[in-house]
Amino acid sequence: MAVALVILGVALQTTLFVRLRPFGASPAIALLVTLAVSRHLGRIPSLLVGFATGLFLDLLSETALGLWALVLTTVAFATVRLRRRFEDDVTLLIPGVFLLSFVGLALYALLGTIFGAQTLADAQVVQKMLLPAVYNTILAPLVLPPITRLIGPRGGGRPGWDR
Amino acid sequence: MWRPSGVDRSIFAFIGLVLLSLVLVTVDLRASGEGLGGTLRDGVQTAFTPVQQGVGFVTRPVVAFFEGISDLVGIRDENRRLRLQVTDLERQLSETESLQRRVAELEAILAIEPPGELDTVAARVLATGASDFDAIRLIDKGRRDGIAVDMPVIDEGGLIGRVVSVTETSARIRLITDPTMRVAVRVERTGETGILTGRGGGLLQLEMFNTNAALIKGDLLVTADGRFPAGIPVARVAEDAEAEVGFSLITKAAPEAELSRVDYVKVLVFTSDQVGSPAGEDDEPVQPPLETTTTAGTEPGSGTTTSP
Repeated sequence: MAVALVILGVALQTTLFVRLRPFGASPAIALLVTLAVSRHLGRIPSLLVGFATGLFLDLLSETALGLWALVLTTVAFATVRLRRRFEDDVTLLIPGVFLLSFVGLALYALLGTIFGAQTLADAQVVQKMLLPAVYNTILAPLVLPPITRLIGPRGGGRPGWDR
Repeated sequence: MWRPSGVDRSIFAFIGLVLLSLVLVTVDLRASGEGLGGTLRDGVQTAFTPVQQGVGFVTRPVVAFFEGISDLVGIRDENRRLRLQVTDLERQLSETESLQRRVAELEAILAIEPPGELDTVAARVLATGASDFDAIRLIDKGRRDGIAVDMPVIDEGGLIGRVVSVTETSARIRLITDPTMRVAVRVERTGETGILTGRGGGLLQLEMFNTNAALIKGDLLVTADGRFPAGIPVARVAEDAEAEVGFSLITKAAPEAELSRVDYVKVLVFTSDQVGSPAGEDDEPVQPPLETTTTAGTEPGSGTTTSP
């Protein structure tokens, strides 16, 4: 199910926003899906999902193989470390989505420059980090609950991620 | 016996995956994107293209709906502006027609053969890059349609970019706004040459070779001979510019093509090795098609166009 969600997220990110780009930017849906999935899977499966999603993005782009893999693995790791706090205080979830999205994109911008993609030479680099994070925050109430319903804890008892 | 706790295992896994990612990046950069990385990219893109086509087919009405709403704003002003533009273009057309007749007469007198036109392949944009930092578009034509790496891509406005990778059924275009893209251009008014560099979106950076030649806002920049066929509109100078003594002439230019709303494009069947090849009896200088439109059907009188 996580794999299907990732594929759908990447397909939507690369097709829906070809022309629909408010203020010249689009949401980072693959990052949002990784974050949403990592809230519910085990620690190591979450990291593997982040890595695989990033690798998938790398194979669909012209940047160095492994760049997005590194970024989304980091996002998944950060989500795994913070998710208990999100469960304890839901009001932290939306700011958490914004922060993790922004940090993920900033990390990509930094690593992209180090590895030759000249991302920091982009005149709109701040806009391209900030606006997708804002859009992710707006989309989070539409994306997170359905994913929770699909792969989240079923019935009562402890959430399945606490392993 | 010591065993790592659950927390320790995930940290080890994280470090392991980070190291693996760094190894992949290093190997891919050393291979310059070829080798296993290139093969995997082609395979994944080939397998994923039908998914993107399917999702694009489903989401197109949604996109069209939101585009329609956003287009409503300012539509009256745009209508007025376009009417004025049509009047101006009709006047220019009649002037151009008389010039064309004169050129044809002179060519006949001097026994000069007119340049041949490039073949083109019409295509539709299927998908965008993995992020906003990726100035890439995926089109629905590939190697089996005659497309090869480095071919220029245009729309009705002008140059969009060039093909950077090809599979059998699709191809990726890098847009001219990408920071790694550089295009040699010529100012149509003065003939002076310079280099346009992408800045990630919005305006491009123009650096002129001759710092003494001032630029006027609105000056049209067209491709100079080299990687692209000469004469394709690329951008317009965004502000008046004049170099100060001892400084280079650098200014901004706005792309002619509507890069944020690219839908239908044409790939010019042209590679840079066609430039500067020894002239033979049958060689003709190449020229971009006289008309550039984004319709996907066959167009008479503008070279050979392959319809989707």
